[in-house]
Amino acid sequence: MLVYLSKRFLMTMLVIAVTSGIAFLLVHLSGDPAAAMAGEGASEADIEAVRATYGFDRPLYVQYLDWVGRILTGDLGRSTYLRADVTDVLARHVPVTATLGLCALTFALALSIPLGVIAALRPNTLIDRFALWVAVAGQALPSFLFALGLMYLFGVYFRLLPISGNETWWHFIMPSIALGYYATPAIMRLTRSGMLDVMQSDHVRTARAYGLAPWRVVVRHGLRHAIIPVVSLAAVQLGFMLGGSIVIETIFSLKGIGYLAWESIQRADIEVIQAILLVIAAAYAVLTLLADLLNAALDPRIRIS
Amino acid sequence: MLREGVKFHDGTDFDAQDVAYTLNHVADPDSDMKSRVLVDWIDNVEVVDSHKVRIHAKRPTPAALQYLTGTSPIYPSGHYEDAPVVPGSDGAERRDWGAVQPVCTGPYKLADYVAGESLTLEANPDYFDGSPKGKPSIGTLVYKTIKDPETQVAEVVTGGVDWIWGVPPENAEMLASMGNLTVVSAPTMRMSFLSLDAAGRTGETPMTDLKVRQAIAHAINREAIAENLVGDGSMVQKSMCAPVQFGCDTDVKQYAYDPEKAKALLAEAGYPDGFSVPFHAYRDRAYSEAVLNDLRAVGIETDLQFLQWRALRPKIVDDQVQIGHLTFGSNGILDVSASTSYYFEGSSDDYARDEEVKAWLEEADRTTDQERRKELYSKALNKIADQAYYIPLFMYGRTYAFNKDLDYPVTPDEMAHFYLAKWK
Repeated sequence: MLVYLSKRFLMTMLVIAVTSGIAFLLVHLSGDPAAAMAGEGASEADIEAVRATYGFDRPLYVQYLDWVGRILTGDLGRSTYLRADVTDVLARHVPVTATLGLCALTFALALSIPLGVIAALRPNTLIDRFALWVAVAGQALPSFLFALGLMYLFGVYFRLLPISGNETWWHFIMPSIALGYYATPAIMRLTRSGMLDVMQSDHVRTARAYGLAPWRVVVRHGLRHAIIPVVSLAAVQLGFMLGGSIVIETIFSLKGIGYLAWESIQRADIEVIQAILLVIAAAYAVLTLLADLLNAALDPRIRIS
Repeated sequence: MLREGVKFHDGTDFDAQDVAYTLNHVADPDSDMKSRVLVDWIDNVEVVDSHKVRIHAKRPTPAALQYLTGTSPIYPSGHYEDAPVVPGSDGAERRDWGAVQPVCTGPYKLADYVAGESLTLEANPDYFDGSPKGKPSIGTLVYKTIKDPETQVAEVVTGGVDWIWGVPPENAEMLASMGNLTVVSAPTMRMSFLSLDAAGRTGETPMTDLKVRQAIAHAINREAIAENLVGDGSMVQKSMCAPVQFGCDTDVKQYAYDPEKAKALLAEAGYPDGFSVPFHAYRDRAYSEAVLNDLRAVGIETDLQFLQWRALRPKIVDDQVQIGHLTFGSNGILDVSASTSYYFEGSSDDYARDEEVKAWLEEADRTTDQERRKELYSKALNKIADQAYYIPLFMYGRTYAFNKDLDYPVTPDEMAHFYLAKWK
């Protein structure tokens, strides 16, 4: 277990290190940050002055090492646009995205696992069809369209929910549904196929033959096995929600990481972009690591190999 | 001479010391001031007496009052001492001057500010009597950033917010029919134009031929783009400047939309079958594509390179832009020295490089005789139009939508003057 753990941990660190390099290169090679900061109407001399002030005139590798050195001391840099330390900026935005991601994942799991289980227990019935329909709709609808539909219905027509911002829990309802719904099809289908397999397996038949209560067979002997791949998928989906909620956050004006990333790219606020890419990569890597560990805990075979 | 009896929001008196302090600070190249054009003309500022300052300019600056009333306010003496020390490059330290929260004298004072998110302003009860702006009527203003235009529309429709601007033309009509909103459009100072490489900075290209440039001018249906695409508030730009600017002569040669004439001119220039050219743009893809369609109709095939400004700007500087679809807002300065002079005085943004135009503009920028300035700017603008160096297309418009109970005067300077607003 310890060998497995340290191997996985090293891999995770490596992924984060490589991502930091790519993040840095992407941001710096996609245009002149000084030109963006100086704005329109700036002369070459003005741009040159900005370059010198912020150190963009140094060779790229020097800037990279400077940046990595500061990251390692825990300094994520300073936002040139927001005029604040990136750490403080992230501290304001991360909780919003984390809340959104967790709410969305909870919604997705609460919807898709029961649906998947029911669909598997009654395959090819009306219930199964309905579950399939829900899943296909989730996959087919672009998330922005679904989000705007929700906004129109509950925000504009019925006026039940606030439309934009992240001041109260009410503000998180529509974005969580919009973001979570996108993850339901995959989780639902995976739960369904896993359950279909496992319910026909020998140990479930044995459990049934012992006369155990049906719900106990389904949950303890069926779902426990079927859920293993779902855990990995849910972790990846959560990573996706934390990093990929740009569209949803922008539409509902939730001041989270995705929104900040989008804004920062437009503002060429490079230290913020770099920090976000790093944080998202780290979140992804850590979630994958956690999923692996959780799987190892659920299934002894994984630990041994 | 400064007005007496004016107080800053922190209660201190506004005097000559403050003016000299602030202007000397922002004029310093290390001040991190981004709109350099507003302050670069200042050599230094001295205090004459408590309410009198003398500004020494580097050269005669006829637009000085325009610059002083621009977007750079006066702060109390010592204002920048609170600027945090942050790590600069190579382990050195620098001061983040812009991080200090503004303390001003205006009708509203800053109550709360979250960078990139929201701004809360409260009416200033001590705002001086007899100011040209007048005392504000609305007590508290909250200005929020809502990125998505659809979301802005949903908020204003449901009364979540009372005022939005930059309404997309496709939504303007729908909002106007809502009954609870006022929808108004106004022109802005932002011009949209094509820069053509008449000087041959990118090499010997068709753009160096006057007939080709004139053909391009005739090929584009500016009226249709301004009216149908850009929408309310937009209008055809007739000359290479914003019409509200001092010295902007719009009575210059116009190229009517005439594809046949464009084709004929191309044939005369030796391109009967047209040619192919890279086309750079950065701001509004739909508008650029409308221009491309018009060019294609006369046989000019374009390869659209749609870039972010920070990627396009280095290309402009490095002589790589044969046709650029650019826009410029003149930093809000109501003087042609901020627009025409910016593009035609030989800087890296100048793809015409006409020495005569340059000389006229430089003289006009440094002359205090306003009649003489007008005459010189007119000469320059006429030659720019005759030579079709750059093709002016349209002025951007801006549409506002706000609560019907709000009395809000829309102005053509693209500034939100909330102190003029009141509830009916």
